Amino acid sequence: MPAKQVFFEDVNEGTELPSLVKKPTAIQLFRYSAVTWNAHRIHYDKDWAQSEGYPHVLVQAHLHGAFLTQLVTDWIEPEGILKKLGWSNRRYAVPGDTLTSKGKVVKKYVRNGEHVVELEIWEENQNGEVCVPGTATVVLPSR
Amino acid sequence: MGSEESLISEEAKAAIGKETKRYLGEVSLQDLQRYAVTVGETNPLYFDEEYARKTPYKGIIAPPNMLSAIICWGAGPVEEELNPDGTEKREERFPLKVKRVMGGGQDLEFIRPVRPGDRLTVTTKLKDIYQREGRTGPLVFTVTENLFTNQRDEPVLRCTQTVILR
Repeated sequence: MPAKQVFFEDVNEGTELPSLVKKPTAIQLFRYSAVTWNAHRIHYDKDWAQSEGYPHVLVQAHLHGAFLTQLVTDWIEPEGILKKLGWSNRRYAVPGDTLTSKGKVVKKYVRNGEHVVELEIWEENQNGEVCVPGTATVVLPSR
Repeated sequence: MGSEESLISEEAKAAIGKETKRYLGEVSLQDLQRYAVTVGETNPLYFDEEYARKTPYKGIIAPPNMLSAIICWGAGPVEEELNPDGTEKREERFPLKVKRVMGGGQDLEFIRPVRPGDRLTVTTKLKDIYQREGRTGPLVFTVTENLFTNQRDEPVLRCTQTVILR
């Protein structure tokens, strides 16, 4: 097993996840719209987005969720299992923003033989404003 | 306009609790890898079958939040059937007096992995519609539960989704 694996015994309340930094571009947003078959103009038509009062095209709500998913799955791989993940879109983001996903352990326990860890996760922009708060539940391997 | 005015029609309220089931389609290896690449995933779980086989998932899977991120399955509507802003005319299912739509978040429960070749069906239930006063005017929130099942009728993902309309 690779040395990077995080085990249940390695974490405690307050343990922080390695941050995940994303700098979404217009190309990324276009491809995300394409791959999810999302024709909403607000994600690729800057004129349209500005007509709705935004400075630029908007990062998709689900792409924010995908960044938080990656934050957690990068931390638990290869042996960890993602059980639950939830997020709320609170603040929009546009190309040029730097979005940093962060997380920390809030609880750990053993239930039905599974080593469960609950996380608080969030994504913030370059001004430290939280765009997307969330939570996740994972099962980690035990030593 | 009075802020007390309801943007939620009686028809919309009547839709609460109703379930609809529809076939979505097949998830291909190409679909899930394009999704992973676009997000910027580097996890070999989505790209390297040999690696993936040694994980608890025992093979390549779709990125966990992919199913519930797909806005439209299958061929989708022709352009004339889209709203001017490119969104689908979905509100016809429960008419609301609103113009704009945005994602408000999701709560996902990953029940089973989704593998390339899986054929998916979703059962959708409108759980709630409510109105709140936002910074720029009234907002309508819809809360929908989507249960995704595979070709063996096994549940794979439960997604409770909030959509904000204004």
